[in-house]
Amino acid sequence: MPHSVPSADQLVPAVYNELRRLAAAYMRRERPGQTLQATALVHEAFMRLAGTGQPWNDRNHFLAIAARSMRQILVERARARGAQKRWAGLDRVSLTDSLVRAADEDAMLPALDDALTRLEQLDPEQARIVELRYFAGLGIEETADALGISPATLKRRWALARAWLFRELSGTRSPDQR
Amino acid sequence: MTSADHWRRVRDLFEGALEQPPERLDAWLDREAVGDPQIRADVRSLLDHHQRTGSFLADPLGNRMADLMGESRVLQPGDRLGSYTIVRELGRGGMGRVYLATDATLGRNVAIKALPPELTFDTSHRDRLRREARAAAALTHPGICTVYALEEFDGDLYIAAEFVDGTTLRYQLDSGRRPSAAEVTRVAGELAAALTHAHEHGIVHRDLKPDNVMMTSDGRVKILDFGLARLSTPDAAVGPITQPGTIFGTPAYMAPEQLQGQTVDARADVFAFGVLLYEYVTGVHPFAAATPLGVAGRILESEATPIAERRPDISAAVAAVVERCLEKAPADRFESGAGIVRALQRGHRAPGRVAHGSGSRRLAWWWRAHQFVAIGLYFIASVLCWQIKEWQPGFTTAIFVAVAVASTVAGVFRGHLVFTERMNDPRLSIELRRASLVTLLMDVLIGLELAAAGMLLAPSRPVPAVLTIALGVGIALVRLVMEPSTTAAFLENPEA
Repeated sequence: MPHSVPSADQLVPAVYNELRRLAAAYMRRERPGQTLQATALVHEAFMRLAGTGQPWNDRNHFLAIAARSMRQILVERARARGAQKRWAGLDRVSLTDSLVRAADEDAMLPALDDALTRLEQLDPEQARIVELRYFAGLGIEETADALGISPATLKRRWALARAWLFRELSGTRSPDQR
Repeated sequence: MTSADHWRRVRDLFEGALEQPPERLDAWLDREAVGDPQIRADVRSLLDHHQRTGSFLADPLGNRMADLMGESRVLQPGDRLGSYTIVRELGRGGMGRVYLATDATLGRNVAIKALPPELTFDTSHRDRLRREARAAAALTHPGICTVYALEEFDGDLYIAAEFVDGTTLRYQLDSGRRPSAAEVTRVAGELAAALTHAHEHGIVHRDLKPDNVMMTSDGRVKILDFGLARLSTPDAAVGPITQPGTIFGTPAYMAPEQLQGQTVDARADVFAFGVLLYEYVTGVHPFAAATPLGVAGRILESEATPIAERRPDISAAVAAVVERCLEKAPADRFESGAGIVRALQRGHRAPGRVAHGSGSRRLAWWWRAHQFVAIGLYFIASVLCWQIKEWQPGFTTAIFVAVAVASTVAGVFRGHLVFTERMNDPRLSIELRRASLVTLLMDVLIGLELAAAGMLLAPSRPVPAVLTIALGVGIALVRLVMEPSTTAAFLENPEA
């Protein structure tokens, strides 16, 4: 038996199960050869959760923390890789006029993170939605469940979050409008 | 209107607008946002952006994670980094790609490991990397791959280390060839000696695994990346080590305390050594499961199948060493590599004797005899107290009950220990620790109670009274003085 605080013993298996599920959610959509990355991300997220010793009250709270960890990890990576620099070089006008290409999305990650932080100040729930949907890869139903709202409401709020962030990143608003 | 109110209005209107047919949208907005052009404009602009979001954020980031979790710069043969010229890629390690390079200054081959860029992000972390690399470079041992330098080129960090020609233990494991018992003993000895050297210098590996152990072409064993595991985490605050982006980023060789994010010392290496050796011997991971996280769960919760069941030909000493290394509680494992070396040497000199807790047959016999004598004394004490109660009714009845209860409790615990020693030896040291406080309390209690009974009896029957007091003092002293040393001798001195 592990000699540790009892609560950790009870929580850890639950964490594995949840993280495994999150990993599975990723793997469903994955291209071959990316299983590794999903596993590594989930693994690292787990390590952070274990490392902080931050207690969580229930499954939904746990999902929120896990999604936040994933956001931090991925954004840190992107920042470290100098994505910020590449983003600065992107043509903002092209972003507003065309659909965002997937490749640009990596580059804009640090900027997205900043925008998300601003959105969080406006409405924390919006940021939770983006973390769960975009960073942790949860589906509509799961995200709605985790936030305790109906899937229909979630869909509308998710649309709002995307629109708000899209506007923020395409820089079509002048600062005084904020 | 505060910005929170503004937001709530915007949000509600946006959500409501999504329900409206496009042709009636403007009219609906005019009606709903009447008298508030600012809110109307905000909602309108969000709706416009909503129309154009396209695939924005639609796909979870996982689909492009390879770019983020992978490494950025790949070196090609012929590339130059200072005095090093890249010859070829050797493989991908826990920290990134590893290359074979020639060092023009010293005319030798070196292994160059590229550290992931996120490590070089902030300068305070760079300083820590330098300190740790310096500590790792201080290790010189035939069983450890020497670290030469931490180099910086174009803002990227590289570790230059001894080039070890050979294959990893992982490769050997995958080849399916199982080592002979003699090979196992030799490899275990060499690995333990290398661990000992590092542990004596205060350096813990933290990431010992088959991928980090090389079998050289002349048959020697070398541990790679000693003291470098912590270099691969972006920040100390992150806690346990991770190897992002590789299949080896699994917790398969982590000790339970490491998985739980607690502080890690040499005993985590001892655990990893146990897992590694178990796998080397049997070809099966002791905590095998379908997913890395499943393995982590088993490390925390389940016991490994005894080696003897999978490889009966392996010496009991080696099997017992592995079992002790795999104890869940760090305190139950060997303190460091040195403990493993000693246990292996003892096993080598006295084959057939088990290096773990059970000690030699003679000491085990003494230890068991001690337990049975103690149980016998409890019985005598209870009978004696019953007799005293007959001779001298009154308060002695209460003493009799108390002695009988304490004797039963202590007797059951001692019986349990003997059973554990006979049937489930690897758990003995754990059970001993659990039982020690109970037997201590009960024995002291019985001693005091017997002394009290003796005092009460003294005026009427002096001789039985003195015997009773003597028995009480005896039981307490045996527990306080004799037992700690017989147990220690039995557990730690199997040679004696």
